[in-house]
Amino acid sequence: MDLTLANITHHYSGLPVLQDISLHIPAGQILCIVGPSGCGKSTLLRLIGGLERPDEGDVLQLGAPPPDCLNPLTYVFQDFALLPWRTVRGNISLVLEDHGLKGAEAERIISDVLARTNLSDFGKALPRQLSGGMKQRVAIARALAVNPAAMLLDEPLSALDAQTRELLMEDLLALWARQPFTGIYVTHNLSEAVRLGHSIAVLSRRPGRIREVITIDTPPPDRRAGDARLDEVQAHLWSLMRDEAKAADQELLNV
Amino acid sequence: MSDATLPDTATPRPVPFRGGGFRPVAKRGVGLAVFVVLLLVIEWGTRAGWIGNLTLPRPSDVGAALVELYQSGMLWTHLGPSLARLAVGSLLGISAGIGVGVLIGLFSYIRAGLVPLVAALFPIPKIALLPLFVIWFGIDEGSKYALIALGTFTPTVVSTYGAVDNVDRALVRMGQSFGLGWWSIVRKIILPGALPGILSGLRVSLAIGIILLVAAEMLGAEHGIGAYVLQAGSLYDLERLFAGVVILSALGVVTSWVIGLVEKRLLRWRG
Amino acid sequence: MTTFTRRGALGLAGGAAVLPLLGAPALANTKTTVGALRFTSHAASFVAFERGYFTDEGLDVDFKFFEAAQPMAVAIASRDADFGVTSITGGLISLAEKGAAKVIGGALSEEKGIDGQMILASNAAYEAGLTAPDQLDGKTFAVTQPGSSFHYMGAKIAAAEGASLSFKPLQKVGAIIGAMKSGQVDAWTIVPHIGKALTGGGAVQQIGMVADYLPGYQVTTLFTSAQNAENDRAKTEAFLRAFSRGADDFNAALVDKTAGDDAAEEMVKLVHKYVYTDRPYDKAKPSIVNGAMRINKNAALNMASVEDQLGWFKSEGLVKDSITTETLVDSSYAEAI
Repeated sequence: MDLTLANITHHYSGLPVLQDISLHIPAGQILCIVGPSGCGKSTLLRLIGGLERPDEGDVLQLGAPPPDCLNPLTYVFQDFALLPWRTVRGNISLVLEDHGLKGAEAERIISDVLARTNLSDFGKALPRQLSGGMKQRVAIARALAVNPAAMLLDEPLSALDAQTRELLMEDLLALWARQPFTGIYVTHNLSEAVRLGHSIAVLSRRPGRIREVITIDTPPPDRRAGDARLDEVQAHLWSLMRDEAKAADQELLNV
Repeated sequence: MSDATLPDTATPRPVPFRGGGFRPVAKRGVGLAVFVVLLLVIEWGTRAGWIGNLTLPRPSDVGAALVELYQSGMLWTHLGPSLARLAVGSLLGISAGIGVGVLIGLFSYIRAGLVPLVAALFPIPKIALLPLFVIWFGIDEGSKYALIALGTFTPTVVSTYGAVDNVDRALVRMGQSFGLGWWSIVRKIILPGALPGILSGLRVSLAIGIILLVAAEMLGAEHGIGAYVLQAGSLYDLERLFAGVVILSALGVVTSWVIGLVEKRLLRWRG
Repeated sequence: MTTFTRRGALGLAGGAAVLPLLGAPALANTKTTVGALRFTSHAASFVAFERGYFTDEGLDVDFKFFEAAQPMAVAIASRDADFGVTSITGGLISLAEKGAAKVIGGALSEEKGIDGQMILASNAAYEAGLTAPDQLDGKTFAVTQPGSSFHYMGAKIAAAEGASLSFKPLQKVGAIIGAMKSGQVDAWTIVPHIGKALTGGGAVQQIGMVADYLPGYQVTTLFTSAQNAENDRAKTEAFLRAFSRGADDFNAALVDKTAGDDAAEEMVKLVHKYVYTDRPYDKAKPSIVNGAMRINKNAALNMASVEDQLGWFKSEGLVKDSITTETLVDSSYAEAI
């Protein structure tokens, strides 16, 4: 299933936050969206997933999602969004219950996604007993459980420390290598974008417009540290963002 | 400048300690000790005479009044009806309060319509409405249930909709993003998320319930802890008055303890 | 010393009328606070004040008005008031037991032949067959508080009729009137000026008289702090003399009606300054006249009635068994009848 954004414009209480955004995300590829803080990256992601309605323009799905897909557009949130009163298994079961999946079938799916995210031993743990990285892996397992056509990842690694981030990045790459998913990955971290994205869209500061879309041909799992092309892309991204970021940093936070 | 005023730079010295303090540390038994000392001072004062017998009763006499109340079997005669009134009244008030509070938390129209009404009801001294309740619900148990129910209703509403408002909206958005139905979100995300706030609101509501128990038993109650306290007051019988007060405090401690147990059980996830 | 002993003796022996003829009072402008309810039954104090009997005795009286007898007893115990008039309640006895209050004389009495307190039934209970006190068995009976005079009267009537009553505490007379009118309680006793107003309007029914069950019932007593009774004898006796003169005037004008119509009219006007002040004179007059019950001459105290009341409070466990009549009453002031 492909996703297409056609001329999206959006305002918050009269103030434009996104202007004329058009993007295409082919099935099985990951698009990274980078930009300075406050450029509307997260808003764009909420528009794509249907949590908000754009003022102008359309978000279009091309082609049908796979038949066993329960929730075509599935989020992974920066703050994990786990129910603290449910165990790891309970949190995953939550998103299956409403699709009529209970009992043995649900147990099979839960065990499967826990195995894929190396969480099999932690099914009965409560969120407060888990580290940040583990919590995000539970959230990813939960997303995998509904077999999404596209994963919408909203800065999923930002709340984690550097080592955990590195480990989880490897997990994400392994998951994609095993079964390529369509992904939209919002981040302010340029190296994450360069590691993961088939293409990288750079947004300007508010109101967010697309400055450039950069494509990297090397498949993400094959990218290695020290690759000249990757360093070049990252340097280019920084040069695009540097002044925007500086200006954004000095803006008064009045919204 | 003599050498004496210059710091000796050669010898190593330990860094002076400047931290510590400003942090409450649990000290066991101090609270109990304060309580015991206070009682002993009052006992001494009333025996020695520098506390007049009109000022305070002798603690040992209050204890004797409690023992007598228990031995005569009157304790249960008074406690039984009171507990029934508190249970029925607060059950009505609290369940209605949680229901209305959740509705206010969920629906903007209900919020707009009912929040001002609840704000208007809250500060009314419910005791003032007692004669009206007697006419509406009869002088027997009905008016007592109604008074306690109304008294526990308003604080429960306020704490419940506050608790619903405080449920992490990120969790609700997560539920929506996974395609959960409206009822599922309410049942599985809003209500469990609001539970801690609702339970701590219950502590306040039940304390108000106990206060109103005494007020409810002003009219037409032959038995009941409130009636017992009021009777002791009108007889200027300080020992029984304080014995009743001790029972009411104990009732407060017990309800608070029960809520603590419920919290421990239902909110284990908080750790 | 001799002066006031003589005066005290004269006051008791010669009655009130001759006292103003005597020389200057023994006390000079002694500040005294008298607790009162705005009831006709407190008229003797108002008469003594208005007609200068207190001033004659050298007492500079301030009234402190209360809504109920109970707080007045507490005010005397806390020495916020010096003298008061109230029925014998469990509270008053307990305060006496704690050495805070003493009964020093009698005021209002039940007397056959003079309209006294009435036994009332609510309309609903009356229609259901409560037409006489012998039908009281199993009924509810309104009291202000346990241990109040209502409780005593109800219990004594019930005992005489072999009836078992359930007593409903309603705190205030106003609340009782509401409950009687709406049929929430079955029966009650009350002083005539309130009772007649209720039965006159058909809101409740009269089914008997308290005097039939408690002849000579000492309804209210004069009391003061134990401190005054023991150590301030001059002041206490002066108060009693002035109060008795007021009582004599009141009895003559409205109870025995020996003073003539003009005196009666004048008395009603005087009392109206304090009682039913929110009503016009024409409406207040019948209530004041109806409420006139005998105030004992020379504050004499019906000891038999006092002992009966004390005994009942003890038997009900409302006050301590150890309390004796001597604890409650200082009998050195007024004669016993």
